[in-house]
Amino acid sequence: MDTPLSIAVIGSGPSGCYIAQSLRRSFPQSEITIYDRLASPYGLVRYGVAPDHQSTKSIQSQFARLFEREDVRFAGNIEVGRDISLDQLRNAHNIVVLAAGLPEDRTVGVPGENLPEVYRAGRLTRLFNAHPLEQTGVPNLGKSVAIIGGGNVSIDVLRMLIKQPEDFVNSDIDDAVLADYVRAPAGRIDFICRSTITNAPSDPVMLSELGRIRGVRFSCSDPIDVAEDAPRAALARAKAVAGLLEIDPGTETRVEVALHFGWAPVSINGDGHVRNVELRSVNDVRPNLHLDADSVVTAVGFDYDSGDWHGLGALKANLETGVMDLGLYRTGWIKRGSRGTIAENRSCAKAVAEEIVAGVDTLKQQTKPGYGGLPEEVRARAIDYSAWKRVDSAETDAAPADRSRRKFPSHEHMVAIAHNNFVQTSAGPGAN
Amino acid sequence: MKIQVLFGTESGNAEVAAEDLAQSVRNDGQEVEVQDLSSFSIAELQHDSMYVFLCSTYGEGDLPNTALPFYADLSVVRPDLSGMRYAMFGLGDTFYTETYGHGATKLDDKLTELGAQRVGKIGRYDASTWEPVGECAVAWFAGVLEDVSAVRWLQRIGQHGLDPAA
Repeated sequence: MDTPLSIAVIGSGPSGCYIAQSLRRSFPQSEITIYDRLASPYGLVRYGVAPDHQSTKSIQSQFARLFEREDVRFAGNIEVGRDISLDQLRNAHNIVVLAAGLPEDRTVGVPGENLPEVYRAGRLTRLFNAHPLEQTGVPNLGKSVAIIGGGNVSIDVLRMLIKQPEDFVNSDIDDAVLADYVRAPAGRIDFICRSTITNAPSDPVMLSELGRIRGVRFSCSDPIDVAEDAPRAALARAKAVAGLLEIDPGTETRVEVALHFGWAPVSINGDGHVRNVELRSVNDVRPNLHLDADSVVTAVGFDYDSGDWHGLGALKANLETGVMDLGLYRTGWIKRGSRGTIAENRSCAKAVAEEIVAGVDTLKQQTKPGYGGLPEEVRARAIDYSAWKRVDSAETDAAPADRSRRKFPSHEHMVAIAHNNFVQTSAGPGAN
Repeated sequence: MKIQVLFGTESGNAEVAAEDLAQSVRNDGQEVEVQDLSSFSIAELQHDSMYVFLCSTYGEGDLPNTALPFYADLSVVRPDLSGMRYAMFGLGDTFYTETYGHGATKLDDKLTELGAQRVGKIGRYDASTWEPVGECAVAWFAGVLEDVSAVRWLQRIGQHGLDPAA
């Protein structure tokens, strides 16, 4: 009898879950394991999607079916390159698919970017999401923050910075981080988008959502009209911005948000510390703007790690194929670069799965031991799905009344709960 | 009569709902087939079949990309769908207030316009509730089937009158 095909997926975020889904349909008898360095599954859904966007996070219940009904194994707490090498994984599995996403924030590429108060959106998003491997402590943003980038991540950061604790009802925000921030929140935020309103990369609904937050006054000194025959998204975006500008919180104004469309950063200036940001108009001749800022947040997409990827060299985006080597594939952002929504990883995974199916006859020739062939000590540290569910329940149980869960910001703590080694102290779960 | 389940999805939730619904119908002994709208041609539509559409919403209240070719074919070819019966289940997210569930509504309007007859109410699933989408679809379809039986009963009354001897 044939030994079953064994498949390893590296990364349990959307791209990893979608490829596992596709491969399960193509190979019903195969052994599929999704590896993750974290103790929890779902990657970006849990740590990249903003904590107050719970309906976006609800895609988790679709992915959970993999582990609950489709016989896909979760192996958390295993980091490729630390606990096991890529070669070891490839030796144990017929097929290895990289689905690790992109780890780095893309740089803007302007002078002054290395000043200490220039922060990356990824760090802030992970911080508010209680990412267990993010450095702790809220950065000092000061009274005046300039956010560079006009996409949805940029709007996520803006929203985190202008909301008050009561605006996070039913979210799973890290309340310790939030409390830290609201002690000295920003009073003015400049939102800097290189594109005009017509071409801006944001979802209109993300902009209109901002109008539901009380105490915020919006301004925009750029044209907000779009051509009548503009795409519907552009019309909706213009309408959303016009709606924001109509809001007048009067004496209840807590924070001023200035929206800039069609402005590109020239430099971040300051003598040892951020003082201001210089912008140039992209489409017309207007004098450069100088915006005072105590800090800058950059949100211009995500990028490849520039280093050598497990002996494969520096990775670059490839829109044509997910094939990297014999039996080695990639999908999601690590294949295409940081573009597209969560759902776009589904069609990406389907295309890569087709490539895998096309090449499977060769790959089947070799007998591979699968997950059981990994060293004992690696399997011993793995967190399987039922172990993760212990963490999941503990987080849900620890949630304050107006939050959906309380995420534990410590990897060791999560691992201890998962492995049932955790002796509850009087400090209660989450103390770290 | 075979029930044909057709789904249009962007994130995969409509596919999950379609599979669960089909499984539940199959468990009741009914013949059922599930297909992705992206691989279904309007030429395959049968007048005497019962169709169940499960369709999400994407972008500015549009149909998901996988369902766009099917919708475009309906709009361009304009087949006569009189006699065809279908049920419609829409997936959306009330976070998108203005466009919530528009994908299914658009598809429903188009099918009706071409003469097909919807049975039951349009089902609605709101992702922001975190309810299992499959269970929601199964419960909805049970209601649709009850409506269908009620309609048949009323039709019989219409044909034969309330004569106890009939």
